Amino acid sequence: MFSLYSYYLLLLVLALNTSQYFGNMETEALLKWKANLLNDSPSLLPTWTTSNSSSYFNKTTTPCTWFGISCNNAGNVVKLNVSNLGLQGTLLNFKFSSFPYLTTLNLSSNALFGTIPASLGNLSDLTTLYLAVNQLSGSIPPEIGNLKSLVDLQLSNNTLTGSIPASLGNLSDLTTLYLWGNQLSGSIPPEIGNLKSLVDLQLSNNNLSGTIPASLGNLSDLTTLYLYENQLSGSIPASLGNLSDLTTLYLWENQLSGSIPPEIGNLKSLVDLEITTNNLNGTIPASLGNLSDLTTLYLWENQLSGSIPPEIGNLKSLVELVINTNNINGTIPASLGNLSDLTTLYLFRNQLSGSIPPEIGNLKSLVGLVIDTNNLNGTIPASLGNLSKLTILSLFRNHLSGSIPPHIGNLTNLKDVQLSNNTFSGNMPQNLCRGGSLENFTAAFNNFTGPIPKGLKNCSSLVRVRLDRNQLADNISEAFGVYPNLDYMDLSQNNLYGELSRTWGECHNLKHLSLSSNNISGSIPSELGKSTQLGKLDLSDNHLVGEIPKELMKLNLLIYLNLSHNELTGQLPREIGSLSELEHLDISSNNLSGPIPGEAGKWSKLLYLSLSCNIFNGSIPSQIGDLISLSILLDLSHNELMGGIPSEIGSLRNLENLNLSHNMLSGNIPSSFEEMKSLLSIDVSYNQLEGRIPTNKAFQKFSFDAFKNNKDLCGNVSGLRACDSSGTSKSNAIDKHKKTGYDTLLIFAGTQLFSITYPAITHFTRVLVT
Amino acid sequence: MAAIWTVLLLLLGTLSTPTTANLEGDALFAFRRGLKDPQHVLQSWDPTLVNPCTWFHVTCDKDNRVTRLDLGNAKLSGKLVSELGKLKHLQYLELYRNKLVGVIPKELGGLKSLLSLDLYHNNLTGSIPSSLSKLTNIRFLRLNSNRLTGRIPRQLTKLPNLKNLDVSNNDLCGTIPTSGSFYKFTEKSFENNSRLQGPELMGSVSYDIGFCN
Repeated sequence: MFSLYSYYLLLLVLALNTSQYFGNMETEALLKWKANLLNDSPSLLPTWTTSNSSSYFNKTTTPCTWFGISCNNAGNVVKLNVSNLGLQGTLLNFKFSSFPYLTTLNLSSNALFGTIPASLGNLSDLTTLYLAVNQLSGSIPPEIGNLKSLVDLQLSNNTLTGSIPASLGNLSDLTTLYLWGNQLSGSIPPEIGNLKSLVDLQLSNNNLSGTIPASLGNLSDLTTLYLYENQLSGSIPASLGNLSDLTTLYLWENQLSGSIPPEIGNLKSLVDLEITTNNLNGTIPASLGNLSDLTTLYLWENQLSGSIPPEIGNLKSLVELVINTNNINGTIPASLGNLSDLTTLYLFRNQLSGSIPPEIGNLKSLVGLVIDTNNLNGTIPASLGNLSKLTILSLFRNHLSGSIPPHIGNLTNLKDVQLSNNTFSGNMPQNLCRGGSLENFTAAFNNFTGPIPKGLKNCSSLVRVRLDRNQLADNISEAFGVYPNLDYMDLSQNNLYGELSRTWGECHNLKHLSLSSNNISGSIPSELGKSTQLGKLDLSDNHLVGEIPKELMKLNLLIYLNLSHNELTGQLPREIGSLSELEHLDISSNNLSGPIPGEAGKWSKLLYLSLSCNIFNGSIPSQIGDLISLSILLDLSHNELMGGIPSEIGSLRNLENLNLSHNMLSGNIPSSFEEMKSLLSIDVSYNQLEGRIPTNKAFQKFSFDAFKNNKDLCGNVSGLRACDSSGTSKSNAIDKHKKTGYDTLLIFAGTQLFSITYPAITHFTRVLVT
Repeated sequence: MAAIWTVLLLLLGTLSTPTTANLEGDALFAFRRGLKDPQHVLQSWDPTLVNPCTWFHVTCDKDNRVTRLDLGNAKLSGKLVSELGKLKHLQYLELYRNKLVGVIPKELGGLKSLLSLDLYHNNLTGSIPSSLSKLTNIRFLRLNSNRLTGRIPRQLTKLPNLKNLDVSNNDLCGTIPTSGSFYKFTEKSFENNSRLQGPELMGSVSYDIGFCN
């Protein structure tokens, strides 16, 4: 009996020694790892210390009370959970062999870097390994495949590289495998298909290439398969159709090719199918119609062809059907009208033909109907007026015709109505913007007639309106109101009449206003100058009268101003120079008079200037030469300008086209015109010019028409009389350049002196030549 | 997560992300993304629009293809992107007097309709790509006042319609070609290139003697 007692005592001592042994090992390993962390401090994991140890055996320390540590009944560490603590360091000095009982290791959401050590593979009891959201690098060690108890493996959101080890296929208890958000490359090993317990597989957002292994079809418990944002190629394996528990299949943003296998229609649990942005071709399988739990079907941005199978109308749970940007043809099946939960129907950018089936009007949940850029014809069915939740109606760029059913105007949630580029006719629905939410209304390039919809007047939500190129006939004085958010308004090329309303000036966000080519009369309201965000203002081709208001010159963001082809009178205000951003100015074909102000020279960004066909008088100001950006055109033709052509025009190095014809300009063509190296065309005809035309080769290429009907121009152009020759002949271009310039200057100076002193001398006076 | 993103993007306008919009609009928007634009001249560049033809500083033809890009004097900084080479109907590329850096992308040689290439007064480096010799319609090639290096590609002399060339104020080396369309250019087109020698003398001296790395 004494020996039995001592036997038990011995066992007790041994047991305590053992736990002491393990207790020491685990404590040491933890403390050593903590000490090696870069941000180790007393405030980090403060409970991880031996200073308060008190136990029967002096050297025994147990970490079981430490933060993040859980132990079993024998006092062995089974769980280590220190996530989200900002721990900075590596795993290299973490002695995994000291934790033989560890089941959970959670180090996620820290700042750990360096590689994953192979020794991690020794933790044979480990069920949960979370290292996600760190900066771990290098490859996944194949030894991870030795963790035979592993159920949950998350290495996502690191910078891991290299391939997925095939040995991971040995983890037969694994239910969750997250490797997403790394830089893993190479193919998905077929061995992954051996993971018979796998429920959730996420390999997305990596650089994986090669094909999707057919063996993935063996993962019979799989509910979630995310392979998106990789470079996977080849076809979608038909075997994926065996995954009868699969609810979510995301294969988007890869380079998958081939057709969608009809077997996908066997995925009876599928809720969300997204294969967008791949290179899929072939047709949409009719078998997809069997997916009765499907809510989301995204096939957009592929090269799918053939028609939409009518069986898609069987998807009674479908909420979003998005198949845009493919090569789908055929008609929109009427059966789609059965999809009573459908909020989103996007079929745009395909080659759909035929008409919009009236059954679409049954889609009582529909929010977005976007079927633009197809070959649809026929009329808009009146039933679309039943789509009470509709927010977006996009039908542009089709061949639709007929009138818009008036009930469309009753839809109170409409935010975006795009009808442009069709052959719609008749009146527009009058009560548009009934709900006060209409922002974009575009109906350009159609045959609409009749008035502007009355509903637009108080539609203060408007942002973008394009009604150009129709035959709308209405009085615009009263048709529009104040729009604080309006950015773009184009009513050009219609039959609108009446006067410009002052309220346009209260559209403080308006950047683009075009009313050109209508029958608008009256004057330009000065209030328009309050719309200070205006970048482009086009009122051309109307019957506007009166003067250009000075207030318009406050539009200092104006880039483009076209008031041409009206009946404007008066002079150009000198303030016009303050339009410093102006790049295009056209006020041609009006009755503007007075001088061209020198302030015009301030338009340093101007590319295009036309003042032609007015009654401007006085001389051309020399400041025109300051328009250094002028390139497309300088047109002052058909005015009453007199005096000489300023030589400063020669500074316009980028000018391509110059028209000064039909004026009363006198004197010479300045030789500085030879500096205009970009000049492609010139017209100085019908003036009173005389003297030698510039002598450089470029000028000789212009035809007689450019110079005809002047006082006495001479030069080397057929049709012009030859000038009397004197002086030296020209040598080759390169070394002559500077000398020519000097000589020209002398001659020009000499000519001016001559004409000032002897004004009465006849027009046959010879000009000195080089 | 992906579903919500896609729907949000699609609801922004008639078209979805820039990658599904008009190819030319995509190219221009790629250009915009690489630029700093302190004066907001590119503010109207909305990638959700069907095409870039209503963007300020962009001009299109009647088929809605971009023919002009007028961004001279706009205080832009950043680089020229290779996507600009996709604008097959572009006639005028006006980017002068900005603070652009980096090289002239060789892809600009793909602008087969180009009439005018104005990159003058910037901070561009690298050499003049020989691919510019594919711009068979080009009339105006003005690259002056940059920091371009290397030789003037001889192939440029084959450009049949070149009316105006200016590579002055750079750091070009080698010799000045005088054959083909270059015969009409004076020394003004090449001045202030301290390592540029020339013009080449036809026949008596071999080409490309000039000192060049």
